[in-house]
Amino acid sequence: MININSLSKEYIMGDNKLLALDNIDLSINEGDFVSIMGSSGSGKSTLMNIIGCLDVPSSGEYHFRNNNVSTLNSNKLAELRNKDIGFVFQNFNLLPRLNAQENVVLPLLYSGKNLKERNQLAIEALESVGLKDRVHHRPNQLSGGQQQRVSIARAIAGSPKLILADEPTGALDSKTGLEIMKILNDLNAKGITIVLVTHEDDIANYGSRIIKMKDGKILEDKKNVNN
Amino acid sequence: MSITDLIYLSQKSLRSNILRSILTSLGIIIGVSSVITMISIGSGARIEVEQQIERFGSNNLIVRSQSSSNRGVSMGANSVNTLTLKDMEALIEELPAIKAIAPRVSLSTQIVANGNNWLATVTGTTNDYFDLGNWKFENGRSFEEEELNSGSRVAIIGKTVQKNLFDTDNPIDEVIRINKVPFTVIGLLDAKGGTAWADLDDTVIVPLKTAKQRLVAKKFPGDQIRSMTINVRSSDLLFKTEKDVDTVMRKLHKISANGNPDFVIRNYAQFLNARQESSRVMSILLATVAGISLIVGGIGIMNIMLVTVTERTKEIGVCMSVGAKKRDILLQFLIESLMISLIGGLIGIALGLGVIFGVSEYFKWKMSLDYMSIVLSFVFSSSIGIIFGFYPARKAANLNPIDALRYE
Repeated sequence: MININSLSKEYIMGDNKLLALDNIDLSINEGDFVSIMGSSGSGKSTLMNIIGCLDVPSSGEYHFRNNNVSTLNSNKLAELRNKDIGFVFQNFNLLPRLNAQENVVLPLLYSGKNLKERNQLAIEALESVGLKDRVHHRPNQLSGGQQQRVSIARAIAGSPKLILADEPTGALDSKTGLEIMKILNDLNAKGITIVLVTHEDDIANYGSRIIKMKDGKILEDKKNVNN
Repeated sequence: MSITDLIYLSQKSLRSNILRSILTSLGIIIGVSSVITMISIGSGARIEVEQQIERFGSNNLIVRSQSSSNRGVSMGANSVNTLTLKDMEALIEELPAIKAIAPRVSLSTQIVANGNNWLATVTGTTNDYFDLGNWKFENGRSFEEEELNSGSRVAIIGKTVQKNLFDTDNPIDEVIRINKVPFTVIGLLDAKGGTAWADLDDTVIVPLKTAKQRLVAKKFPGDQIRSMTINVRSSDLLFKTEKDVDTVMRKLHKISANGNPDFVIRNYAQFLNARQESSRVMSILLATVAGISLIVGGIGIMNIMLVTVTERTKEIGVCMSVGAKKRDILLQFLIESLMISLIGGLIGIALGLGVIFGVSEYFKWKMSLDYMSIVLSFVFSSSIGIIFGFYPARKAANLNPIDALRYE
């Protein structure tokens, strides 16, 4: 599903070149649950952004489901993000003016689904994360855990192949965090590929494969024996 | 993403900040209401001038008797009649630019007919009066030469007089008593309608000679008359003829060039020009206000949209992460600014209509509501919204998704 060959990403800040990713090779298969760990500045977020088609590499190749992402324009990237990828962020990133259902509808709006279909899909997605009775609540009327579940519903509403979760439990207490991880685990069980970025060992342990990064390089990539 | 979805999202964000949206559109509101008022004043003045020409005829000068003021004390407008038929003949003789002159004597008196009573202005004049004053006959005829020369007791009446004496019945060949003298009605004039100051249809017209002999012998002795309407051959000659008439009249009445004249010349074109000029000045003033406020309004919209884009940078990033294309973001912000300006346009149109109504009620100015002006206002305000909203919208669309997402 994901094939990365000798991929590098450098940022130019003034006169300095910062090598955020240094010649990375990585492949992820459909149905995998991969945890990426590393301290801040290790390049894990940059790698995540590139996998999520939010950013393009400086050199090297990235193939996502037979698309050579390095060569795609911004419209094509937007389309990939819309159809195949769902994002779950640390701080939820819900639109404050829209209620839960409208937030979940957002990606379906951009994919051009009709009103009836997208409302149906949004309700189903909210139901599957256990928020059936909260569809008309706005983000500020929901707890942190509920907001994160809305954002998971938003990520899965368009039935993506890949979910990218960037520290999804970072802003939650540990009990709520575990609930969120259980939902992600269930999604993986249904066949959705999950890439999770975290720096907490017990969260990373949900993955079937753990990748450790440092200074833009992959330090360690192994199957998770505890799982 | 469909237009209805875009409008839905835009109104959602506009409603979340309703006061700001309305304040932002203030410039557009003032601009659009000025545009509507301006156009309405302009076309109102044009229509009024056309109507006046229709009513009073064009290229006419009116000379009226005027008591020369004595040491600043006026002797009253009706106290003397200084104009005579000799003046009229002399003017026709001396000034070839004059096409015709209609003399006039008048009195206000009781008319009785059909058991009804009505107070009307009776005019004694010649057939030229009808041509010069743009009078048309609804029924009957004008005077015959013989009637004018012999002083026949025949009368032509206006619509108001007909209505009050005969209701809707045909008045032709009926007898009316003017000051107890019986007259036969031979003609009925077409309605002209009222002006702000007089009902033109409240009139009875009789031959000059008849009037002088039977009705106003004491008031206008000899060949005295009240006024004359002078018709000039072309409008180019109007102002020159006005001066010439003044010169000739002064000579006839032996009044020096600086002396107080015992007559007054009214040039209707002068009044119309002044009316047109004042509405033109008003229109220029309003056009300036409209232009400035539309530009300032546009800049206001751009300013607020730039603030909005900055405020919502993170949201834009979120939308991009879930699959919004550049075009989606561009359209969303463009529609938002378009909606602000259109709301401003709507409020402006309402305000403009209010101003038009108020002005025409209060100043009795003729204002004509032009539907084109409403269309024009919509075009104006929407193009302002698009033009000034484009830069902020493009700025939003060109944001890098990662930078936008990271923005705090």
